[in-house]
Amino acid sequence: MTLARPFGIFNQVVDYLTEVFSAISDPTRRAILANLAHGEMTISEIAEPFDMTFYAVSKHVRILENAGLLRREVRGREHHCSLDAAPLREAAVWIDNYREFWEQRLEALERHVLAKRRRRKGRSR
Amino acid sequence: MTITVRRTIPATPEELFDAWLDAESLAEFMRPGTEKRTTATCDPRVGGKFEIIMRVGKEEYPHRGEFRVIERPVKLVFTWLSKATRFNESVVTVEFHKRGKQTEVVLTHTGLPPEAEGDHTKGWSEILEHLQEVER
Repeated sequence: MTLARPFGIFNQVVDYLTEVFSAISDPTRRAILANLAHGEMTISEIAEPFDMTFYAVSKHVRILENAGLLRREVRGREHHCSLDAAPLREAAVWIDNYREFWEQRLEALERHVLAKRRRRKGRSR
Repeated sequence: MTITVRRTIPATPEELFDAWLDAESLAEFMRPGTEKRTTATCDPRVGGKFEIIMRVGKEEYPHRGEFRVIERPVKLVFTWLSKATRFNESVVTVEFHKRGKQTEVVLTHTGLPPEAEGDHTKGWSEILEHLQEVER
């Protein structure tokens, strides 16, 4: 059995995903992403449901942007933001891969222990 | 982030437990996929260290850690550092539950990746579900 993706790649994407995980570790930013799932929003629209300064909101927006979760387009004086869910899907795949790694290790543990038992029985005969 | 996997194996808790503390056994069952050259060293005591080097092509993937709890044959806790954890500490707990003639092995890996605090699986899976609904 092989891993769903090459083991090496699975290890290397982690640097980029660390930024994604860190970006979604904050409840405000998760709420912003959930709202953006409905469609494009300006920064003022993003800020509206939150009881915080415009500056604080734009800081969250910048973190999401740096993590590749939010795309910003400047049209006239407005910044229009939209969600890019690809890194979230990547993150989910990464976790699945790690789970799969351990599932395969436990399968291998079973094979190993049962083979060892057979060898022992073979010797004692 | 926490990952939990379980497997019920027709072997005794002792047989399964001991495999985690034996370098030769580790090199065998920690070998990913079809790769042949995984090597391991192991100092099986609390505070003792282990190292498992998985090799894929020309790349080496060292995995290192230290045993924290050794309660034969029910519970084993060790730290786990690798490229995937950016060599920051994550913690693996392996529990062995006797189920008649079989043993249920429950492995829990916490602190993955280390920068994320708490469990965010719910957070982004909700966003993803939400998005799929909107996309429909």
